[in-house]
Amino acid sequence: MKRVKKPVFFIVALLILLFTYASVFGIKGKNGDNTVTYIKGVNDIRWGIDINGGVEATFTPVTTKKATNNQMDAAEATIKQRMIGENITDYEVYTDYNHSRIIVRFPWKNDEKNFDPQKSIEELAATAQVTFREGMEYTTQTTGSDGQPVYKTPKGTTASNIILQGNEIEKATPEMTQDKTTGKTTYVVGLQLSESGKAKFADATTKMVGQTISIWMDDTMISYPKVEEAITDGSCEINGGTNGFTAAEASALANKINAGALPFKLSITDSNTISPTLGKSSLSAMRTAGIIAFILVALFMILMFRLPGVVAVISLLGQVALSFAAVSGFFPWQNSFTLTLPGVAGIILSIGMGVDANIITATRIKEELWTGKTLDMAITRGDDNSFWAIFDGNITVIIVAIILMLVFGPKNILSYWFGASTTGSIYSFGYTLLIGIIGNFVFGVLTTRQMTRALSAFGCFRNRWLYGGPSDVKQMEGGAEA
Amino acid sequence: MKKFHIDFYAHRRVYFGISIGFFLLGIIFNFVFGTQLDTNFKGGAMLRYSYSGEINPNTIEDSVQQAINRDVTVTINRNVKSADGSQTLNNVTLALAGNDSLSLENQKTLTATLTKLYPKANFNLVTSDSVNPTMGRSFFLKCIVAILIAFLLLDFYIALRFRKIGGAAAGFFAIVALLHDVAIVYFTFIIFRIPLNDSFIAVVLTILGYSLNDTIVIYDRIRENRRLMGLKTGFSVLVNASINQTLTRSVYTALCTFISVATVYVVGMIYNLSSVTTFALPMMMGVISGCYSTVCIAGPLYVMWENRKSRLRAQTAAIAAPARTPAVPAGSDGSAPVSASAKGSGKKVKTKAKAKKRKR
Repeated sequence: MKRVKKPVFFIVALLILLFTYASVFGIKGKNGDNTVTYIKGVNDIRWGIDINGGVEATFTPVTTKKATNNQMDAAEATIKQRMIGENITDYEVYTDYNHSRIIVRFPWKNDEKNFDPQKSIEELAATAQVTFREGMEYTTQTTGSDGQPVYKTPKGTTASNIILQGNEIEKATPEMTQDKTTGKTTYVVGLQLSESGKAKFADATTKMVGQTISIWMDDTMISYPKVEEAITDGSCEINGGTNGFTAAEASALANKINAGALPFKLSITDSNTISPTLGKSSLSAMRTAGIIAFILVALFMILMFRLPGVVAVISLLGQVALSFAAVSGFFPWQNSFTLTLPGVAGIILSIGMGVDANIITATRIKEELWTGKTLDMAITRGDDNSFWAIFDGNITVIIVAIILMLVFGPKNILSYWFGASTTGSIYSFGYTLLIGIIGNFVFGVLTTRQMTRALSAFGCFRNRWLYGGPSDVKQMEGGAEA
Repeated sequence: MKKFHIDFYAHRRVYFGISIGFFLLGIIFNFVFGTQLDTNFKGGAMLRYSYSGEINPNTIEDSVQQAINRDVTVTINRNVKSADGSQTLNNVTLALAGNDSLSLENQKTLTATLTKLYPKANFNLVTSDSVNPTMGRSFFLKCIVAILIAFLLLDFYIALRFRKIGGAAAGFFAIVALLHDVAIVYFTFIIFRIPLNDSFIAVVLTILGYSLNDTIVIYDRIRENRRLMGLKTGFSVLVNASINQTLTRSVYTALCTFISVATVYVVGMIYNLSSVTTFALPMMMGVISGCYSTVCIAGPLYVMWENRKSRLRAQTAAIAAPARTPAVPAGSDGSAPVSASAKGSGKKVKTKAKAKKRKR
């Protein structure tokens, strides 16, 4: 047997414990009054709407013709703009062009007291009112969920003097222009006005050269370009000022302006709302279940397998920690993942499934011991013989976990035919199941083996009884058993 | 060390009986109560409010029917625990008849109607669900396609893996075991009258993966033992020994998984979390079935098949060369010595049979 030095056990066990601590509590520091999160813990997990409470709704245009992709983009932009304006973070919007659907999912704000899901959905679906107004006087300034300032509620001249209505803009398109002298490419939004818009805009811009015209969606200002020259031919560009637009900014603004001229209303085909209290209550129930399940499985392993059982519990801890880390956004390169109730169930399920690798190895070692092998021999043979069984066991579950993620994921090959699904909660289950199995493989094979071998180097842990074999003491008294 | 010596092959009729019995029960329930689909799949609407005080479900049913012109079923759950333990609430669930979704206007009318009926009850919307039937149907189709894809992929994996282990026959019985598990999960939904929902798909897929891994481990042991025990050993002895050797692991893993899921189920029951219990209960059944189908169904079926094959071979041989090969008594249920002798001379017999074919 390849000898593993004694301290390896403590190093591996300590690393697992540290990892577990960090993945549960995170690592946070104080920078003045602000808490800075260096590593995210369980409290930073982004919970799905079934835990946090929230709204999921599907919108479809009410129109006999199929909505074009541009129109769908405009409708999507409206919804996103409203989310940002309401300072709702963590919203998800999926647009399915094939089936003309927009699926929106958003959790309740933490400080939401008076939640009225029906009203929220209605507000999202309302047709966007886009206006071009004189000046840029606003009543309130707040910070939106994207970190940009949000200016709300026009006042003064801006409130009274509306230059154009949304339906007077035929179309807005993002365009790329190249500066002839510098060769630098910038993005602009090109506007094409209708006949009535053309006249109004010509009047206004002639008077207002050098002044600002602000563009509003509903109650929120979305842009405030300065008039550089009088525009009389009904077509113009918004160029984004000195810094210019990025491609994304230009198309976002174009989509928002187009939303004001959408030829259809959005209707709500599906809706699902969950109150925050129901979700919170389910989460603490699942937390209890998780802790109880872990304790029961740990007891079972220690009673059945003795020393390898203890090792298995340490590895299992690492596996659960990996599951937490995988959803909380523990590693810097990874995004946080929305965890739903089935997702939590997946973590608990993988606690049970996760000891499989340890069970296979430990039973193999036990068998070898009972055929009379020495401890070192038994551990080596047990490890070698069990590898493929563990591999096989994991690969089939990995296949189904990936399929689960494909089916219930928001966008994938299947949604091309069947449309994006509204049910994202099982997606999370597939993910935690997958991570659990990977964790089982990493911890159940790698760390378990290192720890078992290191432990077997201790004199006091040489008794084969500790590994489920015949007791060495008894053997000396009563002669060889095996 | 504790070793198992259970003759799974000899008791096969009992196991088959248990499975068939469960299936029959499921089929009867299926005929009597039909298959219920969740609103997620068939469309429909459901709203749940919390309230305090006393309300009368019949009054609500009548008033709502008048207000929105659609039938509604009202169920009341009293004293629903919230997990932080601080308060208990009463819940009232309104399930609307038919598969159509409920428009927002009607949802608002409904809330207004309730508040007007019982101004002091302090109705608060806990959860609402409204699904358009077209969306539901395409979601359902997508789920079914997913199960088929999973099944095909697993079959592909079986074919790949079993080329080495036991050939087509073993692979076939592995698939039979998988179908058995899917049937058990399905009938669990039917018997406990849980509408089929997205949890059903999640459970079926998980159990497919879970059960197959068990089966592969056992067949792998059979292959290993065939090398160790030699060809002379009867097939039932070989399979029995292999199952018994892997039984510790199968049962322990199943037990640990079962413990976890059962804990979730019990906690879900206590706090009345139907989304959790309807997921955990079929999963519990699936975990048991996944272990059981491999050990008690796939193994014995495989032995029956192999025994039948060698008996047929022996019979053909007996007809082909009655003078030289001793006839094998027909009608024996393929106990070890018989099949062993047939196996032993298998090679020779085969050539004879082939030779006879050629002559024809």
